[in-house]
Amino acid sequence: MRREWSARIAVVLILAGLPLAVLGYQYGLLPLLSSERIVTVAASIPETGGFSPASIQVRAGEAVTLRFTSVDVTHGIAIGPGLGVDLGQVDPGKTREISLTFEQGGIYTFYCTVWCSPNHWRMRGILEVTDVDGTIPPFPPDPVIELLVAEGINIDAASTPVLLQSSASLLSLTNGATVAAELNLPADLHNAVWRRTHTPQQVMLLLTMLYPAVSQRDLADAVAYLWRPSEEPSERTAQLYEQNCAACHGQFGQGDGFAAALTTVQPSVFTDLVYMFTRRGDVLYAKIRRGGMGTDMPNFGTLFTPEETWALVDFLWSLSLQ
Amino acid sequence: MKPIHFAGLAATLIVLLIFLPAPNDFKSGSRTVEVNMTQFEFEPGRIEVNQGDEVVFLLTSSDVVHGFYLDGYDVQQRIEPGIPHEIRFVADQSGKFRYRCSVTCGPLHPFMVGELVVEANMPFWRAAGLLFTLPVLFLWYLHQQERGHLHGKEETSFTPKARV
Repeated sequence: MRREWSARIAVVLILAGLPLAVLGYQYGLLPLLSSERIVTVAASIPETGGFSPASIQVRAGEAVTLRFTSVDVTHGIAIGPGLGVDLGQVDPGKTREISLTFEQGGIYTFYCTVWCSPNHWRMRGILEVTDVDGTIPPFPPDPVIELLVAEGINIDAASTPVLLQSSASLLSLTNGATVAAELNLPADLHNAVWRRTHTPQQVMLLLTMLYPAVSQRDLADAVAYLWRPSEEPSERTAQLYEQNCAACHGQFGQGDGFAAALTTVQPSVFTDLVYMFTRRGDVLYAKIRRGGMGTDMPNFGTLFTPEETWALVDFLWSLSLQ
Repeated sequence: MKPIHFAGLAATLIVLLIFLPAPNDFKSGSRTVEVNMTQFEFEPGRIEVNQGDEVVFLLTSSDVVHGFYLDGYDVQQRIEPGIPHEIRFVADQSGKFRYRCSVTCGPLHPFMVGELVVEANMPFWRAAGLLFTLPVLFLWYLHQQERGHLHGKEETSFTPKARV
């Protein structure tokens, strides 16, 4: 009888103790022994829940390891703004992890960088870092967008091309360089910050008044030359475009991305000069950061820094003015 | 039909079948196929090329990350949505080869397969024609032997005596 009881106890110990030991080690002992916090985030397409958990709270100064895994299709993981964290693609069953220690409080977003479903752009999660005093600093407002609002500019207004009516894809930048050098252009036009608040079309109208003798074609070339960014876009900017914009706007800005058919409004065509000549740089900037109203353009203000956004605006100009 | 005429006709047919180039294999060309991948199929799901062709696959994905793995040709390529990829190889082995998705793309991922058929340079109709013509010629030959013997024109060694 006694031997039978000890056998029963042994069976119960094995049946209950084994899972307890394994799970207890994984979720109890390991986090206790580890000096840093480990958060496992399971990624799935937004239709089945997106990131889980979608919100993570950490304290400033606390070392945290974020471990991302995918449960359905390939996702890509990046954390922004300003952290420069891009973990690349996570195939189902694989993990990618990063250890972070924040100096200060702030709000960050981890997001998917690979098209994973029609709702891919909704796949975002929040990383809240509480400051040492227990508060979370609010996300700073964008001065550029506030200036636009103060100026009364409607970011979503449709473009009204005045001068360029047909696609002027024959613009010659080399001709523009010689024309711009020959004309004694106002100093403002050489100022990149001034150019951001004006459309190429406005400048063409201005130049038409200043130099009535010069042909429209030459003036358009000169304006294109002025707006063309002097530096080649960086690899990081090209990567940001490819990960976040190309799905709808197309790899080369022709508005022919594979997801273009899914949007309610046809994605903007950056190679269309008639359209781009009516755009202000800061309006493009605001559109990227705030998103479009009524179109399916998502907001990227919580993902990119202002510098990254300006680099993307330059990237759009270099796509159109080639 | 005189036996000599038939034999000549059949022999000509065999020579034609063996040596005349078939319309689709006298020159190996280049085949470009656009293959689009979606959950959970390849479009097209069946591709036919001829042996010796240079095959160019333009691979695209229109939803999630897929992979293109071609059995037998050691082709393996990860395809991200929006970034077309081109692979080229010479289809030097004939047969039917499966291509399948090599990156887990969802619940039905294991069933995402297609097939590449590399036609051998001996076309089916040629092989079938040879297989059919040779026995018929042989049977006809036997028949002629038999008739020749019955009419007493020729002697053959294997004709049974009992039938006379």
